[in-house]
Amino acid sequence: MVATQKNPLLDGLQIRRTPDPCALVIFGASGDLTQKKLFPALYSLAFRNLLPDRFAVVGVARTEETDDDFKARMKEAVQKYSRDEFRDDVWDKLAEGMRYVPTDFADDSGENHVAEVLNELDEERKLGGNRVYYLAIPPSVFPTVVTALGKRRSTEGWTRLIVEKPFGHDLESAQELSAAIQEHFTEDEVFRIDHYLGKETVQNMLALRFANGIFEPIWNRQFIDHVQITVAESIGIEARAGYYEAAGAIRDIFQNHLLQLLAITAMEPPIDFTAESVRNEKVKVLRSLHTPGPKSIVRGQYGRGFVEGEEVRGYREEDGVDPRSMTETFVAAKLYVDNWRWADTPFYVRMGKRLARRETTIAIQFKRAPHPPFEEAAADGLRPNVLLVHIQPDEGVSLAIGAKVPGQGMTIRTVHMDFLYGGAFRTGMPEAYERLILDCMLGDATLFTRTDEVEEQWKLVDAIVAAWKRDRPSFPNYAGGTWGPASADELLHRDGRSWRRH
Amino acid sequence: MATSVAEIERELAEMRGGETADGSPYQRTSVMTHIAWVPEPWVGPAENVLAGLAERHPSRTIVLLPEPGDDDALDAEVEIDCFPVGSDRSICTETIRVRLHGTALRAPASVVQPLLISDLPVFLRWRGEPEWESDEFGQLVDVADRLIVDSTEWEALPAAYARLAEFFDRVAVSDIAWARTSRWRSQLASLWPDIEGVRGIAVTGTPAQGHLLAGWLRSRLRHPVEVELRESDRLVGVEVDGTPTQFPPGAPPEPADQLSEQLDQFSRDRIYEEAVRAAATA
Repeated sequence: MVATQKNPLLDGLQIRRTPDPCALVIFGASGDLTQKKLFPALYSLAFRNLLPDRFAVVGVARTEETDDDFKARMKEAVQKYSRDEFRDDVWDKLAEGMRYVPTDFADDSGENHVAEVLNELDEERKLGGNRVYYLAIPPSVFPTVVTALGKRRSTEGWTRLIVEKPFGHDLESAQELSAAIQEHFTEDEVFRIDHYLGKETVQNMLALRFANGIFEPIWNRQFIDHVQITVAESIGIEARAGYYEAAGAIRDIFQNHLLQLLAITAMEPPIDFTAESVRNEKVKVLRSLHTPGPKSIVRGQYGRGFVEGEEVRGYREEDGVDPRSMTETFVAAKLYVDNWRWADTPFYVRMGKRLARRETTIAIQFKRAPHPPFEEAAADGLRPNVLLVHIQPDEGVSLAIGAKVPGQGMTIRTVHMDFLYGGAFRTGMPEAYERLILDCMLGDATLFTRTDEVEEQWKLVDAIVAAWKRDRPSFPNYAGGTWGPASADELLHRDGRSWRRH
Repeated sequence: MATSVAEIERELAEMRGGETADGSPYQRTSVMTHIAWVPEPWVGPAENVLAGLAERHPSRTIVLLPEPGDDDALDAEVEIDCFPVGSDRSICTETIRVRLHGTALRAPASVVQPLLISDLPVFLRWRGEPEWESDEFGQLVDVADRLIVDSTEWEALPAAYARLAEFFDRVAVSDIAWARTSRWRSQLASLWPDIEGVRGIAVTGTPAQGHLLAGWLRSRLRHPVEVELRESDRLVGVEVDGTPTQFPPGAPPEPADQLSEQLDQFSRDRIYEEAVRAAATA
């Protein structure tokens, strides 16, 4: 008799999700991302036995290199960047399935070579034709590679495409990319990565909002005065002038990470935690975003300054940057989500390079208590309640509340109820890429952005950038190591508010 | 020894990951970030005060030690001290001592900002008289929520009060010299209404205390009050128009308690601000 029932023996067993056997093919394998993020993430997954038993990694890039060179370089990278101790047995098992193919992306014979290597690995390691293609390549070669892959799709198993940002540089180019992809792949095969969504603390925002009854009733315009989202980096553009000159802060951070953080903060509760439900709610928020007028958006570019006690160059002096560059390295904006929950509640966002400190936070500032019955002096040290979600560093959540200072009188002061990940859970925090690579292998797209989200994000960016073409601000307008141009402060002062200082 | 902000952060994270002596996991219990600017002559007294402060104000303390020199860098030591509270908990404070040279000395705020604890108030204790025009003073004041000085440590009185008053709209200010006059201010207030027409006081105490008391009377009573200074290292007597005032009851607080009291204050002290402005007009 054929068993049609669900296996009752599995009930109560903690089944860890393990992906099907598959090959991960990394295009752009000689880049920084592969060394600093992807291989350390793969190693950590292997370290925890989360990779499928039968697994292979194929690196593809222009650099001439042998399999052994590639393995040696990646081993070094893992030893340097992994969060786990290096164990030879773990590495050897991972390295067994590693191959490298040097090829120009536009080269047909190169693409054929990749396909051959994959077929060999299929034979050898019984991968069942399952493929994850990771595209860590410049947008210019993107369509060529996608078309080449589409033509050589394996007839067996599943195929998934992980696409790194930037996904286009405006709405039109994003739509062209989507069209190129859709010729050969369906939407559920495409995983657009936004590594912020892989961060535990970002997912914790969903847990905080939807697993706790106390927040949801007050999560709206009636109780929340405003929201501040900060994505601040203290580093400059490192060696990425070529990319950054064309992108600027608006495409580098605002278009993707920042709008995703905003969407997660503002979204309605999804009916369940499946990819479609979550993304349906996020895209509604993105659609309700009002294009900010010129007075509600500020851009900046850093000049010379001091960061962490060291003198740093201005943006225009960085290697590879046009000395008269008009690229913005800072954006601040006042955004409105035009729906019933958020009408008239401003979302102040700011992001930039060479700011005073590295910090990504979402601060929900609640309205003041209507009438504090305390003396003016007593209540002077009292600030409105703030729920602060620290995305990085010091991951955690803290709630500022007013409390009485022990002793005589009725002095009130703001204190914090803190939940720090480091203190509450003793396990290390997984890196975003570990989670995202694993989710993709499992076919779970919840933490990836869907094409309609990307398009909504570009629509907003295009509208902002179009207005920028009409004037030339005098750059640089903020010193490195500060919190951006004075106009960013004015943006809030006009509304009688101010940015959180630290 | 850490030689960059990134290394300081790493050391803090490592210490936090470890366990305290009694085996309980380390829990930071800060209520503020306390920055102390301590030029060489003040190192000894500052360390004594810090030792008395840790238990009452669990905080992250960043002690900035300016050491002019050609060397373009900073070096720092990180220390964590835990005090048992009850049977199974302890309060831990973090002290970061940073020696600033060269460029780091020109930009102390850039060193401090990454080390501030998120969303907690920042107190800046400035030892000695600030160089009012200097970048380092201006930068650190703009990072702080409250500036704590002790004008007893200043030479150029009462002129320096005019300089201090220029900063009142930028940062809330506490003055330990002012705090030390509080018992005497209560005593003088008890002389109301006889004291209303006072023309002059003679103060046996530090010049700072003399000027502040006179400034306070001028600003509250809204008429000129002369001051005669009789120097002493502590405030031990006030004469009102030639008549000695009775000694106020109680013992004066310890230096650590005094700083600690200032760290409980959050709002601007308008009475002090007016007294300082009036002290400068002598």
